[in-house]
Amino acid sequence: MKNTILRIIPVALLAASFLIGMLTVQGYVVAAEHDATTQADPMQFSRGAQTWANNCARCHNMRDAKSLRDDQWRVAIVHMRVRANLTGQEARDVLAFLQGSN
Amino acid sequence: MTPNERWTTIAVTVIILVITAPPAFAQSDTSRIDELERQAAAMLEQIAELRAELEQAKEQKATPDLQGLRAETVAARQAAQRAEAAASEWKDVTSVTHLSGYASAEFISPDNESSAFVVNFNPMFHFLYSDKILWEAELEFEVEENGDTEIGLEYSTVDVLLNDNLVLVAGKFLSPLGNFRQNLHPSWINKLPSAPPGFGHDGAAPIAEIGMQLRGGVTVGNQSKITYSGYIGNGPKLEGEDGEIHAIETDGFAGNADDEFVFGGRFSLLPMPKLEIAVSGAFGDVAVVENDGADISGDPTRDYTVFGFDASFQVGAFDLRAEYISQDVDDQAMSVAPGGGEWETWYAQGAYKFGQAKWEGVVRFTDFDSPHADDDQEQWALGINYLLTPSAMIKFAYESNKGEAGEPTDDDRWIAQIAYGY
Repeated sequence: MKNTILRIIPVALLAASFLIGMLTVQGYVVAAEHDATTQADPMQFSRGAQTWANNCARCHNMRDAKSLRDDQWRVAIVHMRVRANLTGQEARDVLAFLQGSN
Repeated sequence: MTPNERWTTIAVTVIILVITAPPAFAQSDTSRIDELERQAAAMLEQIAELRAELEQAKEQKATPDLQGLRAETVAARQAAQRAEAAASEWKDVTSVTHLSGYASAEFISPDNESSAFVVNFNPMFHFLYSDKILWEAELEFEVEENGDTEIGLEYSTVDVLLNDNLVLVAGKFLSPLGNFRQNLHPSWINKLPSAPPGFGHDGAAPIAEIGMQLRGGVTVGNQSKITYSGYIGNGPKLEGEDGEIHAIETDGFAGNADDEFVFGGRFSLLPMPKLEIAVSGAFGDVAVVENDGADISGDPTRDYTVFGFDASFQVGAFDLRAEYISQDVDDQAMSVAPGGGEWETWYAQGAYKFGQAKWEGVVRFTDFDSPHADDDQEQWALGINYLLTPSAMIKFAYESNKGEAGEPTDDDRWIAQIAYGY
């Protein structure tokens, strides 16, 4: 019984990952086009500050925005998006906040 | 003519002469005026000539300066264009690289063994293309007791950002089971200088995997969020020794000697910011592929399962977290190591920042159990950290360890460490 339950959990996780990901509709190309046409969002900076405060300290001390250059933050945030399971929007918001504070 | 008439005539004549004849001084002034006019005209000519010469001299003198000024202006404009291009280069370029990582140097002083200094160096490489594909890798350099340097590939993955909520990860990745191994083990993040017992190599927590993974997160409402990861990988190896399974090796292997894959994943819920509750699980078939130090093949497979639970909460200056994880392998009567077993560990940790967040006190309890009594360990760890920067700190810790008598797991230790994440 225990093994059966333990086998169901990862299968369910895999299925849920596929399902949730696919239900978000945006495909790879669509996402790229979306980014290229994204308009300036006046609330992005404040959202990024809040996301930065809520997420970064869940694992480590919050680093100063000036600890990296803007282009380095661009890479580091993608790395952290993968590691911390940030959504794409959260990652863009935090990047805007860090680059705007740099 | 009378004298009066004569004098009268003379007087009238004189008067007439005086009136009618121009005076001698008048003739003299006219010539002077003419002379002055000539002189003035000559002077005006000279002034005009001098002015012309002066203008010519000025023009001759100014021309080189003007040319230099024009050249400087052109150079400045070009420099400004180059600076503008350089300033916006990071925005426009499609490929960006970034070198980061972490390192630590520490001094370990066990009660019953010799004290020693050790050092670790973990560079990380990030290659981003068009904000859609990231290749990232981490190496681990560690100097061994004999002076050799051990080099390991901690992970190397290509991360394809499929959309805002899903990332495809392929290659060698840190195990997504639990939280410590994938997110908390780097020395500049770990609040104590050592990993909790059972979360290191040959412990209860899987280290890494080679395969493919899907992971991401979705926000729910304004405050909540879920995250998920699911993977398929080559799976671990069983190491047999003296007819028993000595350890489950989970470092991530390129081969798949047992021809069986492992499936697993983690699901977490954040009902509010800074509070995360997660469950992990994995299953598959594994086999003994190394026995008494020699590679073997054909050993029958057996069931392998992993279950984990972890939670973390940050409130004010407190950081609280706990994690449980177990790996279980079934019995296999036909194996060179027929007995199965369970490796399980858990820890609870609390940390508190004070002194303007420059100081941090940490306490952690861990209980690691395995089929081998000499590996089992209970540990209380107390630490005090001084943060030089948010990513650089000095740690002092004392571990009170309880294991099998005479084993290193029973040795209390003092540890001092300098860790830096860059």
